[in-house]
Amino acid sequence: MMAKELFPEAQELRKGRIRIETIKDKVTEIIKKLKENGYGHFVMLSCVDWIKEGKFELVYQMWSYEYREHVMISIKIAREGDSMVTLRDLFPQIETYEREIHEMFGVNFVGNPRLGEFILEGWPHMPPMRKDFDTEKFVKELYYKIPEVKEE
Amino acid sequence: MKPIEKEYELFIGPNHPGATGNMSYHIWVEGDKVKKAETRVGYLHRGFEKLMEKRIWMQNVPLVCRICVPEPDVNEASYSMAVEDLMGWEIPERAKYIRTIILEMARISAHLLTVGGIAASLGIYTAAQWGVGDRDYLLDVFEQITGARVYHIYIWPGGVRWDVPKNTKELLTKVLDYLEKRMPLYEDLIIKNKVFIRRAADVGVIPKDKAIEWGVTGPNLRAAGYQLDFRKLEPYAAYDKIDFEVPYYPKLGEYEVLSDGSDIYTRTAIRMLEMQQSINIIRQALKDMPEGDVLLKHPQWFAWKVPAGYSYVRVESSKGEFGYFVVSDGGKKPVRVHVRGPSYTHGINVMETIAKGLNVADFAPTAISLDVCPPDIER
Amino acid sequence: MTLNHDDWGKVARMMSKRSLWMVHFCTGCGAMEMPPVMTSRYDMERFGMHAMATPRQADVFLVTGYLAVKTLKRVVQVYEQMRDPKYVIGFGSCTINGGMYWDSYNTIKDLSKYIPVDVYIAGCMPRPEAIIDSFLKLMDMIDKGEAIGWKKYHKYYDQYKKNQRMAYAYRLDEVEDIKEDDAK
Repeated sequence: MMAKELFPEAQELRKGRIRIETIKDKVTEIIKKLKENGYGHFVMLSCVDWIKEGKFELVYQMWSYEYREHVMISIKIAREGDSMVTLRDLFPQIETYEREIHEMFGVNFVGNPRLGEFILEGWPHMPPMRKDFDTEKFVKELYYKIPEVKEE
Repeated sequence: MKPIEKEYELFIGPNHPGATGNMSYHIWVEGDKVKKAETRVGYLHRGFEKLMEKRIWMQNVPLVCRICVPEPDVNEASYSMAVEDLMGWEIPERAKYIRTIILEMARISAHLLTVGGIAASLGIYTAAQWGVGDRDYLLDVFEQITGARVYHIYIWPGGVRWDVPKNTKELLTKVLDYLEKRMPLYEDLIIKNKVFIRRAADVGVIPKDKAIEWGVTGPNLRAAGYQLDFRKLEPYAAYDKIDFEVPYYPKLGEYEVLSDGSDIYTRTAIRMLEMQQSINIIRQALKDMPEGDVLLKHPQWFAWKVPAGYSYVRVESSKGEFGYFVVSDGGKKPVRVHVRGPSYTHGINVMETIAKGLNVADFAPTAISLDVCPPDIER
Repeated sequence: MTLNHDDWGKVARMMSKRSLWMVHFCTGCGAMEMPPVMTSRYDMERFGMHAMATPRQADVFLVTGYLAVKTLKRVVQVYEQMRDPKYVIGFGSCTINGGMYWDSYNTIKDLSKYIPVDVYIAGCMPRPEAIIDSFLKLMDMIDKGEAIGWKKYHKYYDQYKKNQRMAYAYRLDEVEDIKEDDAK
């Protein structure tokens, strides 16, 4: 069954692109249902920082080879003090995406044992992909301030 | 005599000729068998996605091509297509054909490197030397068309930057004829080589029933027996007007089916067949290419405001599905650009899982045959 | 005729400049132009150059492109494992001033603050001809005794180490001991 039949609230962005806005608690169920109905390829898990609303948007994206349709399941969680449950049992690659989002945005995924250092090493500051992290200021205050080697 | 069994830890990479670029594998070995493997990445992290949020839409085109070095054009194409999707643009017909030609040239040049690399990891160094040498003929054509050898920055939102030179057809035909003549030599050296067959058949197998669930795409998926290709499933550029066949296991054309598929041998054979298919596609595209404009008449680049929305666009690269997830809030800069590189799943989850039980000597060929390209993992 | 110490130095330099071995470590995207340089078309073996997998037997370190901080740690370790005399070629704009990653939080901007660089190649991506040219230039410098980066590293070791630690910790004030344990 196609996503539109399963979830009437789904919105069609263009041909072959479906977007479902939902809440945190329903995601597992929706992804499970889609997986059973031919949406077998988990494309990616993405995170968008909507700093003005104070929310992170998690976008779970799936694709059906059968119907040639791409579904984006989108949820919003609070930027601070909120968490999401891990879905690594459904698709193994979700684990890697969760590790990256944990490191780059600071979203906590409850139940994922491999969260921790993944791409960066010894990063002491705020997660760098957050909108309030100013990379230009950071660079000017670190790399450009490191002194050149003085020769006598 | 029974060998002493003891567990060792081994680091393959980053300074290791068997590592596919600047990445490393941490493996636990008992005797000769790999017990556990972990992929360590992050050596090439430049924070592209952060930088893209700081730059206007047009400035991102030179950035994105740095994400996949052996095949930069897929990035330009998919980023441009995502912007065009949000803008609601339809690019000129001639530009579509030119994109097809450029993308297929990039595919051949990436496959030459990979096929050579797989062979070299099994001791057939001649193939690697040939692959690099033959790739240079294609780079010369790239240079004639785009002005650069590696980073072309030729495809961009609205079409391609300029028309191809008048003698492109002759230039390309010459190179394609040459490559076609070389293919039988590669076959003799790699696919029909007994040493290669014994080392590669039934080694590094991705379970067929798990392939889609694990997110395997591209030639690796086709080697597992699925005839799935995004050029056919979701045609972009001019692929819907071109007649071509997607090679997949067990339809290996003139190559013998020696194994149950999804192993190093089949993945190499699929790549060899794809090169021949690409030559065929370029020939057709050169023949059918219409006259006309190659770039939309856009508004001034600095004034672009891309309508708010979400877009996901995918391109079939030589390694698998390359996708761009682009979010805009209607401003001059993107809110978020997230890149899905095919190596993200191949290099981490798939490699960590199929490495268990591999022989240490087979580890590097397996990693290379999955065509793992570290820059598109960490970006 | 007897040769004194200086003359022997000249002889040694003349010999060593024609058998430079390069560390086989692809640090950045510049590594893409190395295969054509190493193989038949541009063929660097003409100059007695050859890629070597282990740092202990190599003389030249090509830092091919931008360096993420995580790679910088490995680069410094590889550089320190190489035996004197050793030479560094900074490859591409990113090693000179950060190039197009000038505002990236994870790449260092000026390689010469962390390890001494003998020759820089400008451009992104430098053409194989430019790479060959830099090799010839390095040979010329070795012959004249101008490629003295490795001596500088001994002399100003403290300053280099301090800069490296600042980058490793992503902080200006922090100067703590680096983790020697690699590969994690």
